[in-house]
Amino acid sequence: MTKPTTCNASVKEVGRFLASYADLLFASGSTCIRLEKNSRRIAQAAGMEADVMILPHHIQVRVTDSHGNVTTNMTDIKERPNSFLINAELSRLSWAIADGHVTIGHAARQLHRIANTPRVTPWVELLLVALANASFCRLFGGDLCAMAIVFIATAAGYALKQLLMQRKVDFRIVVVCCSFLSAIIASADTIFSLGTTPQVAIGTSVLYLVPGIPFINSFCDMLDRHYICAFGRLMNAVVTTACLSVGLCMAMMVMHIDMF
Amino acid sequence: MLIDFIQDIIFSAIAAIGFAAISNPPRNAYVYCALIAAAGHSSRFLLMNIPGIEMHIVAASTIAAFIIGVLSVIVSPRTRVAAETYLYPALLPMIPGMYAYRCFGGLMMCMLHSSEPAYNHYFYLFTSNGLTCFFILLGMAIGATIPMFLMKSTAFTATRRQNFAKK
Repeated sequence: MTKPTTCNASVKEVGRFLASYADLLFASGSTCIRLEKNSRRIAQAAGMEADVMILPHHIQVRVTDSHGNVTTNMTDIKERPNSFLINAELSRLSWAIADGHVTIGHAARQLHRIANTPRVTPWVELLLVALANASFCRLFGGDLCAMAIVFIATAAGYALKQLLMQRKVDFRIVVVCCSFLSAIIASADTIFSLGTTPQVAIGTSVLYLVPGIPFINSFCDMLDRHYICAFGRLMNAVVTTACLSVGLCMAMMVMHIDMF
Repeated sequence: MLIDFIQDIIFSAIAAIGFAAISNPPRNAYVYCALIAAAGHSSRFLLMNIPGIEMHIVAASTIAAFIIGVLSVIVSPRTRVAAETYLYPALLPMIPGMYAYRCFGGLMMCMLHSSEPAYNHYFYLFTSNGLTCFFILLGMAIGATIPMFLMKSTAFTATRRQNFAKK
């Protein structure tokens, strides 16, 4: 195995790098256990120890070197969409540092490149999400007509989501607006008696907004005894679900449709 | 039932690909996400629908999540990505979204209805949907993380490379 080349990095340099690294990894949808493991791996490659404190909005990293020098860096977690591509690249980078392929200085430049990794084209994403939600409709017992309506409702709602997110509108307001629009379009199945499963169409039309990854992450963190972070993530997921329910209920009231 | 089973495989795979796209996985991960999701979701379908077994959704989701977890940990070192890249998109079609928003719907209806029978009915819908949602999620998290802890060395070293390309 190649000898680590990060041992010349100063404790401050490692601390600064780890704070940026932890922020990006956490914001990309990583669990706390992976964040801790990767951070410790990087610090150990430089002959140091790292302790990570993960709070709902901040991450604090304390790095101690073999001479007892200590540095503490606190970073504000920036909001960014989940990205497993970034997650995988960052894990790969931590191993590259641990195996001595990359220095901390070079890794800091790599971090900038990884943070700007391009995402899936918005149109492709929209099409795939609409197809996924239409498939979901089928899994819940919807007929072909319901699937077609859910496809259109999801495409319209997701397009609105992309538009509002581009304009930096608050995410909770975006969720209310998108679920309202999707449910209004999906209610066409009920109002015009187009198919035999109108309730499935309206019920599944908003499922693309359910925050699945925060829900799973929160329970995984809870099992790993990161209770504060788990609670923070769970509350974010619950608030998003509440917002989508508000949009759905508003649409049902406007269209005079019963929820249950 | 066979047709329903085949439909479950196909549509859960499509759902996994679509929902995976939101969380931006590597391109080569889509196929595996679809296959693992299809295996997990169809297992749950069988566990819940085979006469004689007819398992509760919580237990069936836990076992299906365990299957997804095992497959994700096995596949991840072959493709050099973290196990979560496959695990989460494959779990997404099983997220109890309907229960989650029906729970909130029940809560809102509670506030809108003041008569005791209607209030009790909607409160029942709020708690039953909320509890089912909570325990499905808990079961899924337990089922999915057990393989990661059992095969810790594989799960957390999947992204390790002998040669790291410096870009």
